[in-house]
Amino acid sequence: MCKVWLPRKQYGVLVCLTITLVALALGGGVTRQASAQGGGTLMGRLEGPRVISDRERFPSQYQEAPALADLVQQGKLPPVQERIGSDPLVIEPVREIGNYGGIWRRGFSGPADFWNGYRCCGHDRILFWDYTGNIVVPNVAKGWEISEGGRVFTIFLRRGMKWSDGHPFTADDFMFWYEDIYQHDELVPTKAPILAIDDKPGRMEKVDDSTIRFVFSQPYYVFLDMLAGATAVGGHSYQGRSLMGGFAPRHYLQQFHPRYVGQEAVDQLVKAAGYDNWASFMRYINDWSLNPDLPTVTAWQTTSPINTPIWVLERNPYFYMVDSAGNQLPYIDKVVLTLAENLEVLNLRAIAGEYHYQSRHIDISKLPVFLENQRRGNYTVSLDPADSGCDACLFFNQTYDADPEIATWLQNRDFRIALSHGMDREQLNEAFWLGLGTSGSQVLAESSPYNPGPEYRTMHSTYDPQRANQMLDALGLTRKDSQGYRLRTDGKGRLRLEMTTVGGQFLQFTQIAEMIREQWGKIGIQADVNEIERSLAITRVGANELQIHLWQNDGTEHPFTFPAHLFPFSPSGLGGSNIGPLWSRWFRTNGVQGREPTAPMKKLMALWKQGFTVPDAQRIEIGKEIWRVAVEQQWALGTVGLSPAGMGVRIVSNRLGNSPGRQYNSPDGMTPAPSRPETFFFK
Amino acid sequence: MAKYAPVRGVEEPRAVDATDVGERLYVASQWQLMWWRFRKHRLAMAAGAVVALFYLVAIGADFVATTDPSLSDARRSLMPPQRIYLFEGWRFRPHVYAVTGKRDLRTFKRVYTTDPSKKIPVQFFARGFSYTFLGLFPTDRHLLGVGEGYEAAQTLFMLGTDVQGRDLWSRLLFATRISMSIGLVGVALSLFLGILLGGLSGYYGGFVDGLIQRFIEILRSIPTIPLWMGLAAALPRDWSILQIYFAITIIISLVGWTELARVVRGRFLALREEDFIVSARLVGCSQMRIIFVHMVPSFLSHIIAATTLALPAMIISETSLSFLGLGLRPPAVSWGVLLQQAQNVQTVALSPWLMLPAIPVIIAVLAFNFLGDGLRDAADPYGQ
Amino acid sequence: MFGYILRRLLIAMGTVWMISMIAFAIIQLPPGDYVTSYIAQLMATGTLVTQEEAENLRIQYGLHQPLYAQYARWVWLMMQGNFGVSMEWQRPVLEVIGDRLLLTALLAFAAVIFTWILAIPIGIYSAVRQYSIGDYIFTFIGFIGLAVPSFLLALVVMYLTFAYFGASIGGLFSTEYLDAPWSLARVWDLCKHLWVPALILGTAGTAQLVRILRANLLDELRKPYVVTARAKGLSELRTILKYPVRVALNPFISTIGYTLPFLVSGSIIVSIVLSLPTVGPLLLKALIAQDMFLAGTIVLLLGLMTVIGTLISDILLVWIDPRIRLEE
Repeated sequence: MCKVWLPRKQYGVLVCLTITLVALALGGGVTRQASAQGGGTLMGRLEGPRVISDRERFPSQYQEAPALADLVQQGKLPPVQERIGSDPLVIEPVREIGNYGGIWRRGFSGPADFWNGYRCCGHDRILFWDYTGNIVVPNVAKGWEISEGGRVFTIFLRRGMKWSDGHPFTADDFMFWYEDIYQHDELVPTKAPILAIDDKPGRMEKVDDSTIRFVFSQPYYVFLDMLAGATAVGGHSYQGRSLMGGFAPRHYLQQFHPRYVGQEAVDQLVKAAGYDNWASFMRYINDWSLNPDLPTVTAWQTTSPINTPIWVLERNPYFYMVDSAGNQLPYIDKVVLTLAENLEVLNLRAIAGEYHYQSRHIDISKLPVFLENQRRGNYTVSLDPADSGCDACLFFNQTYDADPEIATWLQNRDFRIALSHGMDREQLNEAFWLGLGTSGSQVLAESSPYNPGPEYRTMHSTYDPQRANQMLDALGLTRKDSQGYRLRTDGKGRLRLEMTTVGGQFLQFTQIAEMIREQWGKIGIQADVNEIERSLAITRVGANELQIHLWQNDGTEHPFTFPAHLFPFSPSGLGGSNIGPLWSRWFRTNGVQGREPTAPMKKLMALWKQGFTVPDAQRIEIGKEIWRVAVEQQWALGTVGLSPAGMGVRIVSNRLGNSPGRQYNSPDGMTPAPSRPETFFFK
Repeated sequence: MAKYAPVRGVEEPRAVDATDVGERLYVASQWQLMWWRFRKHRLAMAAGAVVALFYLVAIGADFVATTDPSLSDARRSLMPPQRIYLFEGWRFRPHVYAVTGKRDLRTFKRVYTTDPSKKIPVQFFARGFSYTFLGLFPTDRHLLGVGEGYEAAQTLFMLGTDVQGRDLWSRLLFATRISMSIGLVGVALSLFLGILLGGLSGYYGGFVDGLIQRFIEILRSIPTIPLWMGLAAALPRDWSILQIYFAITIIISLVGWTELARVVRGRFLALREEDFIVSARLVGCSQMRIIFVHMVPSFLSHIIAATTLALPAMIISETSLSFLGLGLRPPAVSWGVLLQQAQNVQTVALSPWLMLPAIPVIIAVLAFNFLGDGLRDAADPYGQ
Repeated sequence: MFGYILRRLLIAMGTVWMISMIAFAIIQLPPGDYVTSYIAQLMATGTLVTQEEAENLRIQYGLHQPLYAQYARWVWLMMQGNFGVSMEWQRPVLEVIGDRLLLTALLAFAAVIFTWILAIPIGIYSAVRQYSIGDYIFTFIGFIGLAVPSFLLALVVMYLTFAYFGASIGGLFSTEYLDAPWSLARVWDLCKHLWVPALILGTAGTAQLVRILRANLLDELRKPYVVTARAKGLSELRTILKYPVRVALNPFISTIGYTLPFLVSGSIIVSIVLSLPTVGPLLLKALIAQDMFLAGTIVLLLGLMTVIGTLISDILLVWIDPRIRLEE
């Protein structure tokens, strides 16, 4: 019979294995020699390529990529002059004239990540933002003219410009989109609000083969920004999947349109493709990221679609841009995006230097790891702080009504300001932004024309717990329970606020909210943090159920094209919608539904509408006034902003040329598009 | 241990002579026999002690913790575990050094430097934050703390801190409380359902068996993660953390019981045909008697094996659910929540101490398994 | 036998039908629908969708119909072999799954092989040499995989292979082989990537197998027929392998049907962390996005596999253990 072994030995094995395991786990953290180049150089000078509009400076000769030259020689492609046409878009690269060739590797997170491709490779808006993000420059259209007091916008197209399959790109492509897609109720049942002013729809007209115009019944000066921004007329590649965009390849799409081939043929096509209805089918056929056969006018076109493990885009031989030396752009042959099932893998691949340029999905809290691996991965880290003032705003629901006492406090401006003084924003900045953000109110960057003045950054937004306590006491919230929390005035116990966050975003909203909860505890305010799933959050905002909601206010530096987080513009959505879901319903239905806003909000909404109808200089004044109202009212409390947290940590291979020192970072500008990735090249 | 005794008997208690042993064996109750056999399994004994320790810690979490687990301060964000110096010169005077931190603007890491001139004494039964021990006695004494005049929240970080500068040691203890208790309710429910339905199915066979088997089959055919996701998403949104906690336990156990039921049924099916059951039936024993006196003891070991396996499975399930964002969520603290927050590249690369909560998970899961192993061997009726 | 199988087949079909209803219900349980999560996605990237647009999308996807009508439509389409188009991937569901099914099966197969290679010797050894130091060591090894949270282990292993071996990160293929046609080089590349997830998945399942095998074998070893065999002087190896091990393996057979679906379900977490192109992450994404046709089909498919597996198990069980008599 066996005698038992000495117990110590067994424990020895256990302990040994455990220690090995711990060592293994800790081993990853062995400190290696840091190779960072220094924090100061991470933020460079704002710079970018320029559009040359002086015909005198246009190149007289065009050159092309070697592979295309071969095809021309073989007679498979017309000469480069013919392909580009007589009105190219001439770009002066930010640093140097590049070389042809190479594959640009990036990472993407799945079929829902189509913005990844639009941002890198899909810049076919009719007009576009320059590198500052404040000035409109030509893009697909070569120019514009505003006449009749801001009622008529004439758009001049490029003569001889071609689709990627060589078919001429003309005014007919605009009219096809307008008449056969946009106005077809089955395809687009609700029309775009931005194609209307004062609820009166505008119209598109063909002047000649290379000229179209938009005609409105009222002055609509800001329409120029709409043609440059992320709107329903924001280009075919970006808007094609929702059948918007402003133009579409008529010669290709008409084979799927009943008006041209008859209902029966279309029905057969739809059924053969496995779709339930024609509209879904058209959304697929006209999707730049999904349909490799779709002609396009972007620098690269999809050859392996987004719904496969690798999304590949290849050079468009008919692209209309050239550099200042006459080389047809883009320089880079091919863009390959590799699927990463989760963002940690994507970030780790970037750390390993597997991507040549990536800022989308890059996590700011990993910045030290990125810096540590710069030399090994042969890349350089740069930071592009955004112009939006707040990466984690607290949106206070002004139409909340489930609990009357809570509702009263949420609507009380002094209460909101007191809570604002109760937040130690520098702590948040240090813990979650690595000290790289700017703390203060939610106001936009000083460099933006709409900024109302530097004093608005700190207005009502400093850490002053004493003041906060005084204000709360003055409001009558003087009674506290044994743990020091303020009690409700209706005698129903402790005053409990609820902060709702969404997990899995580029900032850790839940952890930020937890820290704010902790800080508010010091001024006697109890707040519970509740993390919910993103789509559930949208539903609950729409149902007017949330009290305080955390989200960023990105894009608000363009208050007219991107108002979503500035005031309750959309009845269902995250962020700004939670300032008052019922107010937004009132706004959208012109007062038929919803609840009438308070005087300051009504003023803001009226100002916003007014801004559309006046010339630029006046609009900028109105924009400033809108911001003044927003900051003074503190419907949304700012925390930390003007930071690179949202796609502003840029990992660029040392082999890639023409990446600027610092670039404008915004969803409306589709960064890096203002840096013209067509001019990126491999050294 | 190469030689094989034909039939392995109970290891006799050593200090007793042979005749006595026979006597004692003869009169010993089944539980006594089990205890003797269990003692033989040293690993199981040790595991039992570890499990007991875990539950003790879970009960006295606030006593063992040094600071309030939700107290945050960015100035001590991501501080590595502190070294505790035991001696000062030759005298036993445990202490830590004061630590100051700043952000290195070259690497963007937070860098902490110790100040050897500032010694902070570490003491047993020191004063700290106030709490109610066992929910009965309000006190501010803690197992470990810093000397008078200092505040543990500012100075003592035995396992380092997380991004928000919260003390990981204290968080880990409160997490232990939640995670160690989450399985108990669930396992009890699984056990009840499993034995009842598995037994019914195996004993009666025929229509009842068919019905229950189809039910189990359907339940098991649904992959668990979508089932969890669906159920977890369907929980009422205004539930408190505590309610969600129990709901999740029940969800986990609703899936867990089928395994047990299958084992029980399989045994019943095989046993039904055994001679001793057939003879019991022929003698005219009642069904209840056949089930509980003859059949259940003969597969008790299997039930114990399956149950002890179910407990650690609950712990693992909790961490998995948290990883998927479906389990407990912050500000609740559980092992799963802590590990979920450590699930990123910067933790592995720069602050690996945040992965320390994996160690209690591993130890607890192993301990439960070895304990179960020992119990199973001890309960083995053929061993006698 | 034939009648038994026919009866089981009929029951299996009924089960599948029930599973289809449950699958549909699970997808409908979370609040909101595909359109809400689609809006959520657009919101995250800065695009706004108005309520009217959302309503239009709902009508297009048939989400405005009552639930029973949606279910009936789904079943009706499936009967015609049309599993629908994935709303998120914009491709026929079968195509989306088909890409990944082979790799999933391969991974599951590798993991099972790994588990058995590890578990069976450990199980037999620790039963035969109960309480020996070897028993403790091997049991410990068998259990360690179960105890370490797989998501953390996967991340640490991935980081370490990057930091110290410079291996490519995640996935089952290197970039150059991602869309290459099958070749010997591609298979080799796959093998180089496959072992890590197979190891992590395989070790997680080892413990359960070891435990059951050991428990059953211990029971068998004490039975009189083993004693007799020994008394007759049969060699120790033959004594153990000939009958007790065979009998002890019985319970495995009753669970073999679950193995693949269990592994697919269990591999979700590891596959997400390691970014593997398997069905697991696809299912999770489909559930989060409420991509009804895709999620429904995967759940149904896994259910179907389990039912077929159970059927096979039951038949095997009757065949191996004649004591379990047929009902008739």
